[in-house]
Amino acid sequence: MIAHGRNAWLLLAAVVLVAALAPFVFSEFFVSVILTKALWLGVAAASLTFLSAYGGMVSLAQVGIYGVAGMAYANLVLADGGNAAAWAPWPAVLGALLIATAVGLGFGAIASRSEGIYFLMITLAFSVLIFYFFSQVTSLSGFGGVNNLDLPGLVGEPVQDPAPLYYTTLVVSVLVFVGLRYASRTPFGLALQGLRDEPARMRALGFDVTRHRMLAFGLAAFVAAIAGLLSVWYNRRISPGSINLAQTIDVLIIAVVGGLYRLEGAWVGALVYALLDNYSREYTPEIGNVLGPGRFNTVIGIVFLVIVLLSPGGLVGLWESGRERLARRRPGGGSPRNAVGAGSEGDPATSGAN
Amino acid sequence: MRARKLLALGSAVVALGLVGACGGDDDEPSNEPAADATAEAGGTIKVGFLSDCEGAFGSFFEPTIAGFNLGLIKNAGGTAGGEKPSDGVTGAKVAGKDIEVVGYGCADGTADKAIEETRRLMEQEDADVLVGPLSGDEGIAVANYAKEHPDKTFINGIAGAQDSTLKVQAPNFYRFHPDGAQWSAGLGDYAFNELGWKKAAIIGDDYSFPYTSLAGFVAEYCAIGGQIPKRVWAPLGEKDYSSFISQIPKDVDGLYVGIGGSGLITFLKQYQEQRGKIDTQKMMGNIFWDDPLVLKEVGKSLVGGITSGMTAADADNPEVATYIDGLKTAYGEEISGTGPSVFTYGYYTAANGLIRGLEAAEGDVAKLQESLTSVELTGDDAPWGDVTLDDNRQAISSVYVKKIVPDKTGDGVPDVETFRKINDVDQTFGGFFSPDSPELSRSNPKCEKSDAPPWVGNAEEVSFGQ
Repeated sequence: MIAHGRNAWLLLAAVVLVAALAPFVFSEFFVSVILTKALWLGVAAASLTFLSAYGGMVSLAQVGIYGVAGMAYANLVLADGGNAAAWAPWPAVLGALLIATAVGLGFGAIASRSEGIYFLMITLAFSVLIFYFFSQVTSLSGFGGVNNLDLPGLVGEPVQDPAPLYYTTLVVSVLVFVGLRYASRTPFGLALQGLRDEPARMRALGFDVTRHRMLAFGLAAFVAAIAGLLSVWYNRRISPGSINLAQTIDVLIIAVVGGLYRLEGAWVGALVYALLDNYSREYTPEIGNVLGPGRFNTVIGIVFLVIVLLSPGGLVGLWESGRERLARRRPGGGSPRNAVGAGSEGDPATSGAN
Repeated sequence: MRARKLLALGSAVVALGLVGACGGDDDEPSNEPAADATAEAGGTIKVGFLSDCEGAFGSFFEPTIAGFNLGLIKNAGGTAGGEKPSDGVTGAKVAGKDIEVVGYGCADGTADKAIEETRRLMEQEDADVLVGPLSGDEGIAVANYAKEHPDKTFINGIAGAQDSTLKVQAPNFYRFHPDGAQWSAGLGDYAFNELGWKKAAIIGDDYSFPYTSLAGFVAEYCAIGGQIPKRVWAPLGEKDYSSFISQIPKDVDGLYVGIGGSGLITFLKQYQEQRGKIDTQKMMGNIFWDDPLVLKEVGKSLVGGITSGMTAADADNPEVATYIDGLKTAYGEEISGTGPSVFTYGYYTAANGLIRGLEAAEGDVAKLQESLTSVELTGDDAPWGDVTLDDNRQAISSVYVKKIVPDKTGDGVPDVETFRKINDVDQTFGGFFSPDSPELSRSNPKCEKSDAPPWVGNAEEVSFGQ
C-alpha cells in the first residue's frame, strides 16, 4: 500500500494513531493480552505471508526460527533456568537476531531447493526439529522453561505497565510492515516475484533461483526472529511448549485467515485470533452436549473454516471481494473491476490468488 | 480505488478494536460495586479456576472441576449448578461472603497458555484467588506469576513439579498436596530393604515430571546405600522403546520405571518381548502403575509389583467413603470413579484449603494469605491423610505404598492392595532437597549415601478391606 500514493500513507498513519490511543481507552489487560499479543503474532505471521505472497513459499519453519531467537535471548540474558549467560539485554537482542537469522539462512539453503508440498514438509521438519532440540537439551530450555527473563529498559515492567511494551511492539510492527513492503519493491523483491511465477524463465534470464530464494528465506527468518524477541518480552519466559506444533499451526492459521496474499492480513488475522482465543472461552454458547465454553475450540475452528470457505484470500480478501461486488451492483458507484487488470504489476493479491 | 479499499481495512481494524473495548468495559461496572461491597459485611470473593481441557491432560478437565466444586458443596454450602461439573456451583458462602467462581479456565499443558488463562482470570475477570493449575511446567510458571502479583492468592491445583514451591518460593503460592517426588516416598526403602536391591537402574520419560518423580526414588534409595549405575531417558511420546530397553543393564538387581500414560503400556509389552516375563521382584513403578487403563491393558503381568501415591483406592476409612459418596451424589458414577485420581483429589484439597483459610481470615481477602499458612486439613477435608504446610507453603502429608494383586472384584482386571502408609512426608526428604540443591535433571540428584529420610523404617503397616 505504501507505493500507492499519499492516501495509503495517510491511512497507515491513521491506523497507527488509533492504535497509539489504545492504552488510554482500553484496560491494561486488553492492551497486553489482546493488542500486544496480536501485534507480535502479526509480525510472526507477516514473515510467513511475505514468503508466501512474494516468494510463493508457504513456510512452517517460522515458529521454529522465532523459537531459536527466543531461546537464544533467554539463554543470553539473566534468567531463571537455562544457560543464564547474564549479558545485557541489548547485546543479547543482537546475538539472538544473528543466531536466528543464520539458522534461517541455513534452513533456507536446504529448503529453497524444493517447492510446493515438499517445501512445506521440509519446513515443518525444521520446526519439529527445533522443538525437539530444545525439549531434549534441558541445559538450554531449563526445567520447566526459562523464566523471569531480564528485559531491556525500553519495555519497562510489562506486568506493572503494559504500555511501553505495547508501543515498542507497535513501532516494530510498523517498521516490519513498511520494511517488507519496501523490500518487495526493490529489484530483489521484484525478482523474487518473478521467481514465484516463472522460475524457469528467471533461470533462463540468468538469476540464481536457489540463492535468491535462500536470501528471501533469510530475510523472513530475520523478521521471525524479531517476533521471537517480542514474544519472549511479552511472555517473559519461554519453554519448548511455547514453540510446539500447535503454535506452528496457530501462526499458519493466522496468516491464512488474514490473507496469505497481503502483508496487512497478518495483523488482521492475528487480531481476530487473539480476540477469538480469549473471548470464546467465555462466550461460547451452551448447546446441549455439543457446544459450551469447554468446547471453545470448536467455535474457533468453525469461524476460521467459514472465513477460508467464503474467501480463499482471507479476511483482507473478503473486504476486497465484498467491495467489488458492491461496486458491480451500483452502476454509478465505480467501474466494475477487471480481475486481472486491477492488479498492477507486482500486486500479489491478483497474481498469487490465481 | 485502492485508497477506499484501504479505508475499508482501516475501519475494520477500528471496528474490531471497538468490539474488544465493549468486551473490556462490560467487566468494569460489575467490578466496582463488588469492590465496594467487600469492604462492608456481605460481599463477594472471586475465585478463578484453572485446569487443562486440551493437551495431554485434557480429559481430566471435568474431574478436576468436580474435586474443586465438591469442596464448595460440602464445606461452603454450595449446590451443583448442573449435571456437569463445569456447570458451576451456586450459593457457596464462606464467613458470610459469597464465593463466585469467575471462570473455569482451560490451559493445554503448556506454561504459556496457563499464564494467558491466569491473566484472563486474574486481570480481566478480577479474581482474588486462583485455584490451579494442573501440570508441572504450568505450576512453575504460575508460581512465578504469583511472585509478581503479591496482592493475589494462588492455591495450586495438582501441578507436581518440586520447584514451584521449593525454588520459586512465591510467598502467596500454596500447595495443599505432596509434590511428584513426595509421591515416590517409601519405594526406595522397600527396594533396598525388602527386595534387597543393591544396584538399580531407572528409566523414565525425558521431561520435568519424571525427573521429579524419579528424584524421590533416587533420594531415598541412595541415602540408605543403594546404587544407581544407569539412568535411561526416553523421549515423551516414544512409540518404540526397544533401543531404550536394550540400554538397561542386565547386571542390576532391579529397575525402577517412571514412564507414564500410554507409553508405559507399550514399554511393558516390548520389555516382555525383549527380556521375557516381568519379575515384579525386580521391577517397580511410580504413580502411573495403578492407573486404571494400565491395569486393564497390562495389569496381569504386573501382579506383585509395587507402586506408591498420595491416594489409596482401597482405603476403607469413613472419610474416604464420604468423599466418594459426595462426588457420586453431585455428579454420578463416572465422576466418582475418578475420586481416587490425584487430579480430582488435589483440587478437592485445594478448595478445602481455600475455604478453611477464608474462615480463619473471617472472609477478609486481605488476611487470607496469612491465615492460609496455618491451615491444617484433617478428617473429611483430607480423607487420605492430614495436611499441614511447611515454610515454603508446601504440603506435608501421607503417601501410600501399594501392591498390585490378582483380580478380587471379578471384573478381570487386577486390583491394588495398600499395605503401608507413610506419614508426614515432607518435600525436602529430611533436608536432602533444598532451594540450593541442583536442578532436577537427567543426572540430578546425584546418587549419594546420606541421612535417610525420617520415614525409612517408620512406615505404618496398614491393611484395608480384609
